[in-house]
Amino acid sequence: MSDDSVPLALPLLRLAAGSSEVTTLYRELRKPLLRYLVCLGLTSDEAQDVVQDAFVSLQRHMASGGDQENMRGWLFRVAHNQARNRQTSYHRRFGETLDGEKDFLADDATPEQLVLEREKLRRVAAAIRLLTESERECLLLRAGGLRYREIGEVLGMATSTVGDTVDRAMRKLAEKCNV
Amino acid sequence: MCDVEAKLIAWLDGELPTDEASAVERHVERCQDCRRCVAAYRQVSETFHAYCDAVMAAEARRRVPRWMPVLAGTVVAAAVILLVFPRTRDEPPLVGHTINSASMPVPAPTPAEPAPRKATMRRRHAAPRVQERAAEIQPMDTTIQIAIPAEAMFPPGAMPNGINFIAEVTIAPDGSVQQVRLRQ
Repeated sequence: MSDDSVPLALPLLRLAAGSSEVTTLYRELRKPLLRYLVCLGLTSDEAQDVVQDAFVSLQRHMASGGDQENMRGWLFRVAHNQARNRQTSYHRRFGETLDGEKDFLADDATPEQLVLEREKLRRVAAAIRLLTESERECLLLRAGGLRYREIGEVLGMATSTVGDTVDRAMRKLAEKCNV
Repeated sequence: MCDVEAKLIAWLDGELPTDEASAVERHVERCQDCRRCVAAYRQVSETFHAYCDAVMAAEARRRVPRWMPVLAGTVVAAAVILLVFPRTRDEPPLVGHTINSASMPVPAPTPAEPAPRKATMRRRHAAPRVQERAAEIQPMDTTIQIAIPAEAMFPPGAMPNGINFIAEVTIAPDGSVQQVRLRQ
């Protein structure tokens, strides 16, 4: 998203968070969460709503003395479940061939590079469409920087199952993308 | 295919125990096939990331800020009002130059005057009056204030409930937006 973020002054964030830990998490995870949710198929506005709700839940969770281990996985899990509740959007667009790829390819790329990049994105989109839902989700959470254990917590899977799923998904993509 | 090949993705992701990771690392150093696989998986990961970014960028291009239609609508409405009712505060009297008092009401037409002649006179006076009024129009200090709830711009809890920000939109004489200022 162009970065659609509204620049926040630190005092406001402090006021919002009530703790530096929430402030840090907000700064660190807001964009990965938005990207994850948009890739799941939510619109930008829906994703922003879900992220805000997730941070409200986090504040309540911390205020009520909830477990403060692995807050990153916790936030992704809350966001993931809220995205699941928006079934009309879920998985609507991820894997579609994108229009106007030129807009997010490097400005200084040569025409040949643009063609190659477009082709690469087109192939990966086609390969993503062949993945199962859990394979897509595992790869998206992995791209969001989560460890296998955290991915398992978000999706309710055993860590070893996550490892197998990521392995299988990566092999499929490598095969279909001809790399 | 090496046995180690099955562990390459987990190794790349840093998910193997230390001793196992060291063994895989040593193997990759001397196995060309595994090095090729590692390069391929790295490239797939990068392409996947690039695709995620592209999805995000495509969605951002589709998105219009939620407050933009409100602001645009207000600005258009203000421009229309200014064009239709220019300077209504200092409306000059609709009488000839001989009338000096701005507060004097418009005199009724003389009943004795023949109707066709009256119409002609009105037309004759109407044009100069419009020109004079156009020349008198001065730039106005028109500022439109739009209240924007704080929760529309900041994350929940960032501001106490009920706090609004005021966007002041200054309209230029030609109806365009001259300045937009945000204040609390």
